[in-house]
Amino acid sequence: MVQTSQITKTHAVPIIAVVALLALFGMGYFMVGFDQGQLFSIVQGHAAYTQMNGVGYLHEMTHDMRHASGFPCH
Amino acid sequence: MKTLTFLIIVIVSGFLAGLVHSFLNIALVEPYLDNAIGIENQRLFAQGQAQDNSQFWKQFSDYRIWQKQGSIVAGAILGTATGALFGLVFAYSRNALPGQNDVQKALVLAGIMWAVLYFIPFLKYPANPPTVGEPDTVTFRALTYVAFVALSSLGALGFSRIYKKLENKKFLAFLGYAVFMSIVFFVMPQNPDPIKVPSELINGFRTISAVTVTISWLTNAIILGWLWKKFQPDSVTTRT
Repeated sequence: MVQTSQITKTHAVPIIAVVALLALFGMGYFMVGFDQGQLFSIVQGHAAYTQMNGVGYLHEMTHDMRHASGFPCH
Repeated sequence: MKTLTFLIIVIVSGFLAGLVHSFLNIALVEPYLDNAIGIENQRLFAQGQAQDNSQFWKQFSDYRIWQKQGSIVAGAILGTATGALFGLVFAYSRNALPGQNDVQKALVLAGIMWAVLYFIPFLKYPANPPTVGEPDTVTFRALTYVAFVALSSLGALGFSRIYKKLENKKFLAFLGYAVFMSIVFFVMPQNPDPIKVPSELINGFRTISAVTVTISWLTNAIILGWLWKKFQPDSVTTRT
């Protein structure tokens, strides 16, 4: 018996990859671009909105990149 | 499709592009941010909200070092996030993209996505350094920015479908997108915050931040295209 191998191109993106990449995009984009304490408030409650100098921790941590990437900030 | 290979090359290329963005930001954009925050500090002293003494400057310096370290992490996160979307769109559109190899195709797509997601929104809502944005308007500005990016993206998606259906005069799809975005541009509200810092600072900051974002898109495209060519996640070997 002769065994042959064939390379085929598949263009369908598995649904798990689509979901994972869209989730990664949504989470990362929100975290760096817009979070004011919303993400940590899931665990910390209202305190998450003011824990670093009156604003959220992620806001302050991503502050410089938020400005540099063109997102609205203050 | 080799799912794991696909996910790894997409995430790695976005992450590396994000790191490039981070270090360019530290080298080129941070001086402008420091300048703007310096103006903010002078206002705090003038209004009596802080005292210009060694204790203030020690705390301020430590805080800024922490924020600059944070910006490196933030760049990696943002690069991975935008790289995830870029990789997904590349997988769907690769066959339709012009170009003789994967790097060229990725560069074409990066150019389109850079314009749709970043540069066209930037023309309406340009980046501003600290001291320009008012805390009271940040939610309004975030919502209008997201709405503009969403309209730009949906417009591009819609007109790309029209582009595929058009047998001749494909330029009409580009024209349609341009008309659509012109309407969006004039209908969407302006940024309400007044600019109270020197124009040299604003213009220099906007130019250099746009350059660094652009380089990060180019980096993502080159790395993804190269990794795609090397690992070919869409090739499956079958034995008969």
